[in-house]
Amino acid sequence: MFFENIKLAFSAMVHNKMRTLLSLLGIVIGVGAVVAILNLGESAKESINDSISSGGLELVTLYPTPQDEQNQIFDLDLALELKKNISGIDSIMPVVSSYTNVRKEKITSSTNLSGVESNYAANLDYEVVSGSFFSSEENILRNQVVVLGSSVADELFPYGNAIGNYISIFRNQAKSYKVVGVMEEKDPALNISFNNNIYIPFNTFSQKFSKVNKIGSYVIKVKADSDALDVEEKLKTYLNSRVTEDDYQIFSPATLAEMANQITGTFSAFLAAIAAISLLVGGIGIMNIMLVSVTERTKEIGIRKALGASPRVIMGQFITEALALTLFGGLIGIILGTLISYGVINFVSWKLYISTSSYILAVGFSTLIGVFFGWYPAYKASRLDPIDALNYE
Amino acid sequence: MNKVIISLNDVKRYYLVGEYVVKALDGVTVDINEGDFLAIMGPSGSGKSTMMNLIGCLDTPTSGIIEINGDKTSGMKEKQLAHLRSKNIGFVFQQFNLLGKISALENVMTPLLYARVSPSERKERAIEALERVGLADRMKHKPTELSGGQKQRVAIARSLVNNPSIILADEPTGALDSKTGFQIMELFEQLNLEGRTIVVVTHDKEIGNSCHRQIRIRDGKVEG
Repeated sequence: MFFENIKLAFSAMVHNKMRTLLSLLGIVIGVGAVVAILNLGESAKESINDSISSGGLELVTLYPTPQDEQNQIFDLDLALELKKNISGIDSIMPVVSSYTNVRKEKITSSTNLSGVESNYAANLDYEVVSGSFFSSEENILRNQVVVLGSSVADELFPYGNAIGNYISIFRNQAKSYKVVGVMEEKDPALNISFNNNIYIPFNTFSQKFSKVNKIGSYVIKVKADSDALDVEEKLKTYLNSRVTEDDYQIFSPATLAEMANQITGTFSAFLAAIAAISLLVGGIGIMNIMLVSVTERTKEIGIRKALGASPRVIMGQFITEALALTLFGGLIGIILGTLISYGVINFVSWKLYISTSSYILAVGFSTLIGVFFGWYPAYKASRLDPIDALNYE
Repeated sequence: MNKVIISLNDVKRYYLVGEYVVKALDGVTVDINEGDFLAIMGPSGSGKSTMMNLIGCLDTPTSGIIEINGDKTSGMKEKQLAHLRSKNIGFVFQQFNLLGKISALENVMTPLLYARVSPSERKERAIEALERVGLADRMKHKPTELSGGQKQRVAIARSLVNNPSIILADEPTGALDSKTGFQIMELFEQLNLEGRTIVVVTHDKEIGNSCHRQIRIRDGKVEG
């Protein structure tokens, strides 16, 4: 019976192609809009996430507030202490930095000088393009070696021969450092910049540049299987038992990403809800066309009843027809919505993320509308008096 | 004596038209036996159509008792009436009433669909029925591609296919020329010879006379 109903539904649709198409327009537009909006929302979210996570969603940065004596807990030992006491931390990279001038022969440049440990670049997936990052031995031995960020290297060594050469770094007086590596060009993360930086061993920095043993920031890498937001919370709890909240700031792309997700999520849900209204209008269109169809086919209904069709069977036939209509409309809508998504995405040059839930939602909604708005016309058909229906011309 | 398969006992069917009560049938008592070839005759407005609707389980009486194969139709819901029709009645109409968008074969298969017969058996039995009316070579054709006589044969095949207790024909020759009409009546005659009960509703005396037994209706009552 079910297959016969589907066959009947399709023959009815094919029989009135133009009318079918026009009456489906509401559903097509509604579903298309919902799918497009949810896809675009998802893509917007992902593209924001991508740009946030290019700095590493797994990174949390802890900045001690520059104050004097109380901040004494923010030293090198704290890094080990945090790593030991807080689960989910992969590594902690203490960073000391200051703004400084560097010179190579006649070229002078201002740059950000960072003292970091030897694992810094590797932990941040920051690649060396020539030479190598300094080793842990060089850090322990406080060697005067330097690794250049890409733009600093370009400026000081326009002809590229940086490795093995020496540059001068100014603090109170110029000191000569051997260039051991040049880094790749890397987009700045939200809280870490790369290209205009130069890197020297942490221990060298503490000895030569800073009088007090204070850390500028701790870049904390969260384990792959742990949640950055969770680690951030634990970090705060731990620190608050030692110092006040004013003594430090924590910055993590994950927090931002979550915020952005919430905003785009709310926004696209709101837009989709508006689009869903057109689905409702589309549903009324379906009801209208089904009522017309029932009236037109009164005679057919009468014949079918005379041949032994029960009211339930007639009802099933027309509900199936309404469902076939809306599902077909939903299908066109899905195709339309996907095409629109592709078009817009191409235009704004994001990457397209298909929101699977939007498709499930679209199909579910179409079904619901088919059943809901098809019910009344089908009921009317099933209640027709067989004698009147047979005599209908 | 043959078994009574349709019995009407003091059957009344009144309609309310505005303020007036129209007594379409006003106390009809008739028994139809298995194997009868009966004509229900009468001028238009006599109540013969009402009688046909009642026998065909399309309608239920205002009062009185109708038994179809032992089942009383009075007070039945539409669903039960549909079941009764599906089981007992094969309709043949004046205007054929074939479904226009589907083939002759599919038309003949339709009653079996509602009788919940399996698809393969449906086809088999529909082909058999079409062969019986001599239209096996036309089964892929749509009604619009068939002549009036052929359409009526398809309709008769459709009425046969469910193997009903009774075939109910409402002016079956009314839309046909007299020669074709005669052929259709001949077909009924043959089917009757095979043991089928046939009731023809008609106002045409000649058609009525070609049946074996006649009932005349006038003003809602059986004459004579």
